[in-house]
Amino acid sequence: MNRTRSTIILSILMVSGFSFLFFASCRRKSADGMIIFTQVYGKEQDKNVAEETLEYTALTRIFSIDPDKSGDSPTILTEDFYSAKSPAVSFDGTQLIFTGQKKQGDTWQIYEMNPANSKINQITSAPENCIDPAWLPGERLIFSKIPLNDTLKSGHSIFSCNVNGSDVRQITFNPDVFSSSTTLKDGRILTISKQVYPEKRDPVYMALRPDGTKAELFYKSSEGNILSGHGWETSNGRIVFIESEKSNREKGNVISINYNRPLHTRVNLSSEIEGNFNSVFPLKSGRLLVSYRKSETDRYAIYGFDPEKRSVDNAIYSNKDFDILEVIAVEAHERPKKLPSEVDKGVKTGLILCQNINVSEAQSSVNTSALSKAYKIEVIGKDSTLGVVQVEQDGSFYLKVIADTPFRIQTVDENGKVLNGPSDWIWLRPNERRGCVGCHGDPEMVPGNNIPLSVKKAPVIIPVHKSNLKEKAIELE
Amino acid sequence: MLIIVVLGLIIYFPGRKLARAHVNSKTGVEDHPLMCTSCHIPLSKNKLIVKLINSDYYSPFNLAVSKDGGRLYVVAQEGNALLVVDPENHKVLNKIKVGKYPYGVVLDEAGKIAYVSNQWSDDVSVIDLVTEKVSDTLKTGNGPAGLSLSADGKYLYVVNSFSSDISVIDLKNREEHKRFSAGNNPTGAELSPDGKTLYVTSRRALIAPYGDTLKSELTVVDESTERVIARRNIESAYLIENVAFTPTGDLAIMTMIRPKNLIPSIQVEQGWMMTYGITIIEQKEKGRVIQLLLDEPNAYYSDPYDIVITPDGKKAFISHSGVNCISVVDIDSVRTLLKESSPEILNKWSNNLGISSRYVIKRIPTGANPKGLALSPDGKLLYVAEQLEDRIAVINTVSLETINTISLGGPRRITVARQGRRLFNNSGHTFQNQFDCYTCHPDMHEDGLVYNMASKDMGRNLTNTQSLRDIRDTPPYKWNGKNQTVYKQDGIRFSTVLTRSEQFSYEDLDALTAYILTGIHYPPNLMYNPTGELTGSQLRGKEIFERTKDNSGNVIPENNRCITCHTPPYYTNLKLASVGTLAATDDSIKFDTPHLNNIFASPPYLHDGRAATLEEIWTIYGKEDKHGLANDMNKNQLNDLVEYLKSLRAPEYENIPSKIKHTSL
Amino acid sequence: MRNLIQKNYFRYLLSGVVLLCIFSMGFTPIEKSPAGLNSPKDDAKPMPVYGHWKNFTTKDGLPSDHAYCVRIDGNRVLVGTHDGLAVYENGKWTTYTTKDGLVHNGVVSIDVSELTGDVWIGTLGGLSRWSGGKFENFTQFNSGMPNDLVYCVICDGKDVWTATAGGAGQYDTYTKQWEIFTEKNAPMHEPWTYGVSAGDGKIYIAAWGGGIIEYTNKTKKFKDYTDPDGEMEIDLLPDDGPVHDITTATSWANGMLWVSTYFGLSSYDGTHWKGYFDTDSGLASNFINFVRAKGPVVFICSDKGLSSTDGKSWVTYKKNENNSDGMTIIKNFGRNDDSTVVHTTKEIPSSPAIAHNFIIGVDADKEFIWVATEKGVSRGELLK
Repeated sequence: MNRTRSTIILSILMVSGFSFLFFASCRRKSADGMIIFTQVYGKEQDKNVAEETLEYTALTRIFSIDPDKSGDSPTILTEDFYSAKSPAVSFDGTQLIFTGQKKQGDTWQIYEMNPANSKINQITSAPENCIDPAWLPGERLIFSKIPLNDTLKSGHSIFSCNVNGSDVRQITFNPDVFSSSTTLKDGRILTISKQVYPEKRDPVYMALRPDGTKAELFYKSSEGNILSGHGWETSNGRIVFIESEKSNREKGNVISINYNRPLHTRVNLSSEIEGNFNSVFPLKSGRLLVSYRKSETDRYAIYGFDPEKRSVDNAIYSNKDFDILEVIAVEAHERPKKLPSEVDKGVKTGLILCQNINVSEAQSSVNTSALSKAYKIEVIGKDSTLGVVQVEQDGSFYLKVIADTPFRIQTVDENGKVLNGPSDWIWLRPNERRGCVGCHGDPEMVPGNNIPLSVKKAPVIIPVHKSNLKEKAIELE
Repeated sequence: MLIIVVLGLIIYFPGRKLARAHVNSKTGVEDHPLMCTSCHIPLSKNKLIVKLINSDYYSPFNLAVSKDGGRLYVVAQEGNALLVVDPENHKVLNKIKVGKYPYGVVLDEAGKIAYVSNQWSDDVSVIDLVTEKVSDTLKTGNGPAGLSLSADGKYLYVVNSFSSDISVIDLKNREEHKRFSAGNNPTGAELSPDGKTLYVTSRRALIAPYGDTLKSELTVVDESTERVIARRNIESAYLIENVAFTPTGDLAIMTMIRPKNLIPSIQVEQGWMMTYGITIIEQKEKGRVIQLLLDEPNAYYSDPYDIVITPDGKKAFISHSGVNCISVVDIDSVRTLLKESSPEILNKWSNNLGISSRYVIKRIPTGANPKGLALSPDGKLLYVAEQLEDRIAVINTVSLETINTISLGGPRRITVARQGRRLFNNSGHTFQNQFDCYTCHPDMHEDGLVYNMASKDMGRNLTNTQSLRDIRDTPPYKWNGKNQTVYKQDGIRFSTVLTRSEQFSYEDLDALTAYILTGIHYPPNLMYNPTGELTGSQLRGKEIFERTKDNSGNVIPENNRCITCHTPPYYTNLKLASVGTLAATDDSIKFDTPHLNNIFASPPYLHDGRAATLEEIWTIYGKEDKHGLANDMNKNQLNDLVEYLKSLRAPEYENIPSKIKHTSL
Repeated sequence: MRNLIQKNYFRYLLSGVVLLCIFSMGFTPIEKSPAGLNSPKDDAKPMPVYGHWKNFTTKDGLPSDHAYCVRIDGNRVLVGTHDGLAVYENGKWTTYTTKDGLVHNGVVSIDVSELTGDVWIGTLGGLSRWSGGKFENFTQFNSGMPNDLVYCVICDGKDVWTATAGGAGQYDTYTKQWEIFTEKNAPMHEPWTYGVSAGDGKIYIAAWGGGIIEYTNKTKKFKDYTDPDGEMEIDLLPDDGPVHDITTATSWANGMLWVSTYFGLSSYDGTHWKGYFDTDSGLASNFINFVRAKGPVVFICSDKGLSSTDGKSWVTYKKNENNSDGMTIIKNFGRNDDSTVVHTTKEIPSSPAIAHNFIIGVDADKEFIWVATEKGVSRGELLK
């Protein structure tokens, strides 16, 4: 009898267990297909990073919604946060990172969340604000850090770290403000870089390797347009992002450029659409998610967007009181290449070679005869000049520069008159070796195949006025 | 039971530790999976295992279409056959055995005869297409590759890729009528539409001192005078594989690579290592030579091989064997560009990655390693020989879509070595697909260029590209001998300083290593040692090579004898040596003793390519007698020595087994 | 070459003195000489005579007046000068020098491959192949070529032969292999070779001090022809072999080998040798720099003018010492009924004459003769 009872009880327990397991398995285990978005109270329009204060201002929250269940209310994912934004989904579609402020007045830090169960881990614990995270292949991520005593000279640098927050490394070293980073399939970081010192320049997309080397211009808006927010690479080799009109920052358009030739393939996908776009995100299917409003009286809401037809179609979610700032989808997508690093922290300098300073963007176009020839370059640091260097007869120069130190270069004619420049800020990572075709050269130009005269000699040490640096630099290596 | 477990544990732990140490030493990393089979099976020399793990692929290389479009004649390079294919029914109808390592095929005007060049047997198979049998074999120069028939059909021009000349074969008496010298390593041949001139392209640049502008020769033969009327330098370009004329004959267009070997190899970004494109020659008096890239700023289209132009002259199709695609070029757009551009502007376009958007209208993906192209007679279909797919792709030239693929019936499975070969030939592992192993090691050999590898500072350490043929038993690798195994050679450092993209996965690295160490063979040395019987001069040279006393009877110190360092069968003792060639711009190192088989095919010589010929190693760069005692020799003796060196060939042709214990990778 | 001439100046002087003595003693061998000439066939074409000379110097576009060799190549004429290769085409001279890729500017020998049309250029500093407008250079340093002093180059089918200061070199354009022939592997006196020609499947090397070295292509065997008198400046026994062992050039045509020396001219029909001297023939001088046979006619370049003969007649072209005019001297040899030799001499004034009497190179075709002289290049038209 006891045995029978035991058997029955055991059977019941087993059935119950299996039933539990069965039904549990029917529950959504992953957040695949979910849409994640950030919303802000409608009257507190966020500008990502306010231009003057260089700080986050608005109170934002991250939600998720199942697009297949249009009637459902969104689920708040950052309930425990005062404010949160900039969500980014891992390449396998299982994890989310975002930046958040636990309490009002707290610093912004980077957090990791499993969107399926909202389990959250804090990644960074810096005294500074850490914002705009993005995934890197190899269990690492990047984020921008706002210095404690933020000045125009300090810049918002990009840092990388392990997913557990360890091994934090700074990878950009100029005074520009870096924000809205994503990772390209080629393994590089695509980020908005905005020069604020010594003069303000419009933001551009820069591409750089995850170790901070080989930073180069990827895309810059044409006259009258301002880049805004993340540039996302699509499954068919394009980059989509929002560009707003300079005269009307509210007027955001969905722009698509070709990864293969970003500088000259801009297509405004929303040119025929009335209204404004605030953010865009590509789905694996080729369609886009956008936050869009038809008029200024409307709130930004989530829509589907057909890039082929260039039209906004299905409304996915809207809220009459809130604007949707950012929208992304939880989908696995191709893992970017994990690029190797040439950075060697044992080396304190980097090398830069310019093939011919007289090759410039202007000269690579049509008329070259009218332009004066440059004979020297001046290397300018953040606070002072770092020296004037005579270039070789073929226009080449070869410098050894203290690593992780920003500098700009301007070309000078034989009379000392500045011909071109100064350039954008440049930095070299330890042991980085970098080549340029010319100064301010056409980014689409490749070098001619000839030996630059300058590499037949030892590199010129920068700063040149520090006579003892040469020895030091060599000794260090 | 317990005893067995204990014994097992006793064996397992130290065994595993030893295995770990062994694998680490071979791979240079500490996390390569401890799978004995990942290396020891693919690299096995056991005949049975070799047979089991490998397959015989066809590797279609070039092809021709019959006049009625009803047949494709496909050169199966590794099948040593010409495959007769019915393109409509996707069937291989016949496999006609030809010579060794066939290269190209042309059909006569009547479509009754096919001529197939056999690169490794120095002849051309003449195939009766009615009986589909080889009716004759024509002797050629060394390494016959490209073929072309004269306009009147009397002569067959055979481009001898190894001996760098052009055999003119009189088809009436079936004998070589004459031979023209050509550029360095020529392959492509095409007759102009008016039948008056033959263009022959060459792959290697002419040997010149490092720093000189690269020049690859386009040899132009006048049909009527039977003379070479021009040798045009295609500057800053090499690996000009093939050429095609527009039907009206206004343009000749050839595929090319514009390498950057003179610039320090410090990055890949901005076309810093390799760019790819087309050279166009205007066919008129004072016609310009224009070079246009097919690349884009963030995408490179590596290893362009073949080019065909549609009968209406509107489109050119170019196969990119390194990125598995076909570029479609709108020729009218090219004409417009040429018309509106001054020579200065055109010169700038040759280094511009963006200009391709003016004329490249589509990139059509293909299977692995597209090589030869052929158009159907009406120009509506493009056939693509997908070499490492054993397949022919059929592309609609109007819709520019692949509409079919024809399997040639090769093995369905992809062996480890085959996968390695695909990796070797594919640029996917280089940043933005800028180059692959094959780019600098065409034919798995070397490209004849010297690169500034800038290992520490820029402008230092010039490096002469080395052949990858049969290197299994010749470690260490690299001129500085730093890499003991191919695993290390192609590991993380390789990706850090060269490909600058994600390193090979271990699975891929296993496959690549398996291919490099087992799949790359020397061609026979038919030019200097076809039978193994040395000439008188070579025998005298052998004596000098092996001598122990100089001409005066003095004993030559052992370390200054040729044979000491260049020990057969690979003619290397696998050690580093100093031979008095260290340059001021070199790091202070010794150099790995290079292997010498088929050394005649590897100019320039020495680690930085300073010696243009074998003679120069001693006449110019051996004056101090540090690279073997040589200055006592007279000119006859030096000639004999050089002739002997040229006779050296791979052990497999000598029927002698390797005497060097092979490394396990 | 100049050094070589100076080096042996004493020998030549001595030879001249000896010959003068012999002549003054009345041993003029003129009666015997014509018997050994080519037996003129009745249907033989008349001996070509050239006139209407046009001389070219640096003023006309030549890089140098010192012309060493000349070669007609279809519609163009190639001239080797001290300062480069000069090409006359469509009435204009074009010069090619080391700046254009030529291996050395002292061009002393030129030949054109009948098969390929490639021009092979022997210089004082190496050998160039000029083909399709491009020069490919061979030197003793970069190739198996014996020596950079290339006195003579000729093409023989696919082979190119050079006569150099370091031996004769055979280059196989198919196998790209050089073979060197010197006193070590051929019956030569020393490695110095001065001339080479081809004909009838054989190669004839003018070897300094070694007479003529005959190489049979088929058998790869050598045979040498030397002067039975050794290095004596006089030919003691006439027609017993080459007139001297110091040979300057060879040329083969119409079954006859011609050999020039600084002491006279020899011919060899495969059986008999015959010697010619300025005393017993129409030769302008015994000091012969070069000889070129074209069909039945042989042209002889000497220090005192250009001579030519078809075996029956001799035609010599000379320039006056003091002006640009000169003389064409035609000598015909015949026999009387009693078999005694008679000759007739006809002198035709020419204005202008050839550029200079020191002649080093010659070539002729159906219409023109081109002559390389110490002071310019001369072109003569065939007189009808």
